[in-house]
Amino acid sequence: MASARFADFAAQDAKNHGMNLHFSFPPYPLVGRPREVLRKYVEGNDPISGKPLMPQVVDALIRPLTEKEKHPKAARGRPRPRLLKPDTEENLHKLFLENGWTDGAPVVLPTEERVAHMLAGTAADPSEVVGQMTVTIHQERLEYTVEKVAVNAVMAGAGPEHLPAILALAASEEASMPSSTTSFGRMAVVNGPIREEIGMNSGLGALSPFNHANTVIGRAWTLITINLGDARLGETFMGSTGNNMNYNNMMFAENEEQSVWEPFHVRKGFKKEESTVSIFQGWSAINSMGAAGCCRPAQEEMLIIMQAFPCLQAALTLIMDPLVAKHLKEQGFDDPNQLSRYLSENFKMTAGQFWGSDVVYSLVEPNARNGIEPYASWLKLPKDAIIAPYIFPEKINTVVVGGETQALWLTTDMWHTKTVSIDRWRPKSGVYKEGEQAARRRHARQKRHAAALHASGYDLK
Amino acid sequence: MAQNKKQSASSLCTVLDPRGQPTMVVKPLPLAPRLDTLEGKTVYVIDVGFGGGWEFLEETVAWFARNKPGVKTVLQHKRGIMFVDEPEMWADIKQKADAVVFGVGG
Repeated sequence: MASARFADFAAQDAKNHGMNLHFSFPPYPLVGRPREVLRKYVEGNDPISGKPLMPQVVDALIRPLTEKEKHPKAARGRPRPRLLKPDTEENLHKLFLENGWTDGAPVVLPTEERVAHMLAGTAADPSEVVGQMTVTIHQERLEYTVEKVAVNAVMAGAGPEHLPAILALAASEEASMPSSTTSFGRMAVVNGPIREEIGMNSGLGALSPFNHANTVIGRAWTLITINLGDARLGETFMGSTGNNMNYNNMMFAENEEQSVWEPFHVRKGFKKEESTVSIFQGWSAINSMGAAGCCRPAQEEMLIIMQAFPCLQAALTLIMDPLVAKHLKEQGFDDPNQLSRYLSENFKMTAGQFWGSDVVYSLVEPNARNGIEPYASWLKLPKDAIIAPYIFPEKINTVVVGGETQALWLTTDMWHTKTVSIDRWRPKSGVYKEGEQAARRRHARQKRHAAALHASGYDLK
Repeated sequence: MAQNKKQSASSLCTVLDPRGQPTMVVKPLPLAPRLDTLEGKTVYVIDVGFGGGWEFLEETVAWFARNKPGVKTVLQHKRGIMFVDEPEMWADIKQKADAVVFGVGG
């Protein structure tokens, strides 16, 4: 049985797998409905077939199988040709938009010339298989080569200098918008020398749309997910509200230069001189607006903000301005792992608040039922018992970014999924350099900023 | 006329297909043979764990008790989360049950 809202999805799933399962669909939603409503659902009709629900369920168990059900065939996709049928630019733009191959904004059409130029951004062979991806476990994964990734990079408006980072994201085989009715968001953070080489923004307004590299690398991951991960609205993607993080996936570079702590990728086992992209998954971010550390220390404010999250994965990621990291270091947090331990030990909530979250009920309670500690013990506690549910300090991560105009941070429910190498995808001759004028302007900005900090006496580095 | 044809051909654009290639790894499976009747049989009712599913399936089991008293139902949770297959659970069900109602998706 599946609720009626998912009838199309279930039918598509069955078709793809050659499984003509005998579905019945009660009305939707089930969650949060009173018992008498659920009883009426059981005693009422399947809104899709229009027939009484339970007699239909019984029939599904005793109706003899058809020949098609005994010998099923999967509706497999046919191999796709490399080139589309030639057409005018206007018609091709229309084709891409109408087929759902874009994010809704105009794309750069991936002509052979543009894709060939893009491929100059990597030493990898265009035919090399990069990986496979799907947005949902219910679909077969699609396979893609370096050239397919380059096609989507062109569409995103990227240049060859951005391709190594985009290939690294594609090689992670992680979709930027995994299908969940809860509407996942993603974050991707670049570390290492490539940030500077391709002109990424790690400073002022790094999470806002002012930087070419941040914008197009993040957008390319979304287009890759749509076209190589097969994200199709209502068929494979079922996020109820959607998530506007999906447009750019919070793509930025860490401000290693202004951070008082080790770069994120070094904490994950990479060398400082290596370039990487770290991937995170979650749903949301809360700005600490109004908490600049004057009235209450940042670490105490963090404990208050954390109450907003259901603690599903016992994971958090703090995205903080360099000023916050400096404040925290002054408070005695010499490295971010100490902050993680502090938050893990000092954050408390009631057992009732923890288990009362639907998502915790669905995804954590099975651990308790299977006897996994501490969940099994927590499930036996009275509702007002106090627990410290962030039991894995190593899952509380910190990334430093921003332009030091305000000592604020974002608290996110993101968990770190993996960090992957960008260097593996670089061309042997080195990445494309940004234009001379753009580089000059950026360096001038950085110089002015450094001088201002030095004058304030607040350059703790 | 010839010039028009030449012009229109030159204004056409050739682009690459942006989509990934199907991997064709799915192996279709036939459905389990159906029963002649449910009378005297055991039907396992498995809750996959979505919110509201357990309560709905309790009502499903109650419907069987009211309307099909000759059917024995066993209501249980899927052991792990809904997104992970459990071969041990299916092996156990094959041994103990005559039929399964599995839900509630979504």
